[in-house]
Amino acid sequence: MADVEDPGRRTRLFLPKSPTGIAGFDEITDGGLPAGRPSLVCGPPGTGKSLFAVQFLVNGATRYGEPGVFLTFEESREELVSNVRSFGFDIEGIERDGLLLVDALSMEPQVVDTGDFDLEALIVRLGYAVDKLGAKRVAIDNVEALFAGFGKPSLVRSELRRLFRWLKDHEVTTVITGERGEGRLTRHGIEEYLSDCVVVLDDRVVQDVATRRVRVMKYRGSTHGRNEYPFLIGADGFEVLPITSLGLSQDVSSERVSTGVAGLDEMLGGQGVFRGSGVLVSGTSGTGKTTIAASFADAACRRGEKVLFFSFEEAESEIFRNMASVGLDLAGWVQQGLLRFHCERPTTRGLEDHLATMQRLIRDFEPMLVVIDPVTSLARGATPFDVSAMLMRQVYYLKAAGITAVMTVLSADSRTEQTILNISSLVDTFLEVVMLSAFGERNRGLYVLKSRGMAHSNQIREFLLSDRGVDVVPVMIGPEGVLTGSARIAAESAERTTAEELSKESAELVRALERRRESVDAHVATLRADFAAEERLTRRLIEASEQRVEAVNQDRLAQGRRRTARPESDQQ
Amino acid sequence: MSTPTEPVAGETAPAPGGLKLTLFISGASAASARAVRRLRDLCDRYAPPGYELEIVDIYQQPELVVARGVLAVPTLIKELPLPVEVMIGDFTNEPRVLAALGLSRAEATER
Repeated sequence: MADVEDPGRRTRLFLPKSPTGIAGFDEITDGGLPAGRPSLVCGPPGTGKSLFAVQFLVNGATRYGEPGVFLTFEESREELVSNVRSFGFDIEGIERDGLLLVDALSMEPQVVDTGDFDLEALIVRLGYAVDKLGAKRVAIDNVEALFAGFGKPSLVRSELRRLFRWLKDHEVTTVITGERGEGRLTRHGIEEYLSDCVVVLDDRVVQDVATRRVRVMKYRGSTHGRNEYPFLIGADGFEVLPITSLGLSQDVSSERVSTGVAGLDEMLGGQGVFRGSGVLVSGTSGTGKTTIAASFADAACRRGEKVLFFSFEEAESEIFRNMASVGLDLAGWVQQGLLRFHCERPTTRGLEDHLATMQRLIRDFEPMLVVIDPVTSLARGATPFDVSAMLMRQVYYLKAAGITAVMTVLSADSRTEQTILNISSLVDTFLEVVMLSAFGERNRGLYVLKSRGMAHSNQIREFLLSDRGVDVVPVMIGPEGVLTGSARIAAESAERTTAEELSKESAELVRALERRRESVDAHVATLRADFAAEERLTRRLIEASEQRVEAVNQDRLAQGRRRTARPESDQQ
Repeated sequence: MSTPTEPVAGETAPAPGGLKLTLFISGASAASARAVRRLRDLCDRYAPPGYELEIVDIYQQPELVVARGVLAVPTLIKELPLPVEVMIGDFTNEPRVLAALGLSRAEATER
């Protein structure tokens, strides 16, 4: 092989896979079933083995250009055709295109056994069909019928072994279905001969709710998800939900989106939550969890984003009415096509059905925000582990899709405590609404239990619902602790009174000071006036005095001259 | 179709209500040959004359294998008289074969 240097390529060469086209299954098997080899699909009756087989062939024919042969002992042609038509599989149409051949065999129980025989005719008829179509895929549904029909287990086993050998030699990818037996995978232990790939289907009823699981028990030479994965037989047929197989490598957004409540945005560093993050709103009954969720939805619709609202307790009309009372016009958003509701009683279907339905709706509607109100409703009829596993998958799924998830949780229920613990580590923002009761009142307090990757308030704030809308206001701290409701209002008004008094007092002082300043100023003015008068007088006196000095000097000079003239004149 | 119909000794067409059989075998194996021999022997001894036996080699005529829903070899289908009976095996269990074909040893001994 020329490609040995490339390890990735080499793996593919060694382990070619044949995609089943079944949503999710090819992901958990890293590409599908082993190509050119037989795989066993086993489980109790009614778990979807036949559907798996049919879908494998139909998808092979219609999507991957691989013709297939369906050998069934389970149902007649007519039954098969009509049974799978509801999933949108047109068996007869595909047969006409020469891409599928259905060989429906009835195992006649009245067959008389007269001695030794073998099942060579089974191989011959299969070979005939495979050659006729150039088939690359075969499904045999279900081999237990051969044991029932021929009643010689060891002979049937060895003949099946020969059949599997033949299938391998002819490199057809084969799905063989088998019924689960006591203590082993199939009733007659044929899994011993089907060592390449074994898929186990299961349908468990836990507290009256059925949940379907699929597990890849064995896959020789290939990595595969080893968990049990929920699956669904829905409108599109067999669907596996491999959400736990996703890695933690999703792109994260640093974009922030508003919660729709200004005061709450403020508590979350002023900008709200991260886009694509998981938000959990926990609270006891009647704390307004739905209202908070509806605010998120309203804010998203205001941004022009689509919102999918799953309500498991209230009908759409009830939510409209209730939210209208706090000023949120959700009906308007629904009319604009931005908001879609999916209201359903959680008990009507199993947990996995819900998960699958939710994911399909999400895929179809492509919302930016998803509300699940409340997630704990889904916990009915499921073990806490199931619920947390489901929520984990749901949260991962939404994160991977960059969808913001707002989930509400009813916290008073002790059954859900563990659930909350389990999922709290998954969500990015955890808001808790608590009832604060004091002074004969119960008021809503809201705090941010955690919010990853952002500064957030450590305060309890009061959560107010009124016809003007929803808001979160800072609480008052009194000597008895946090004050809410009328106690807060009373404290606020007491504060207001004090403030008024204080401001009155200071105004008084200001006025007094002003008056004092005025009187000082007046005093200064008087002094200045006195001084000015004195100054004028003094200046006049100085002037007069100087004039007198001048006059004296003049007199003295005049006298002097006179005296000097006399002797001069005497001499002449 | 070149189905080997083998009219039995006497050259008479099978009487209405006579025995009509189809046998599916896998090629010319020793086991197949033994099965054919055993069936012929049984019919010759116990069946009324003029029975019809068609032998189908599954390798030669797989379309007949599909059409008749055959899985095991040898498979013998009693087409007539009705009801249709299906037998699998190499006819070593003689009483069962006779019962399924609606024949009896007593009848044969009378003959």
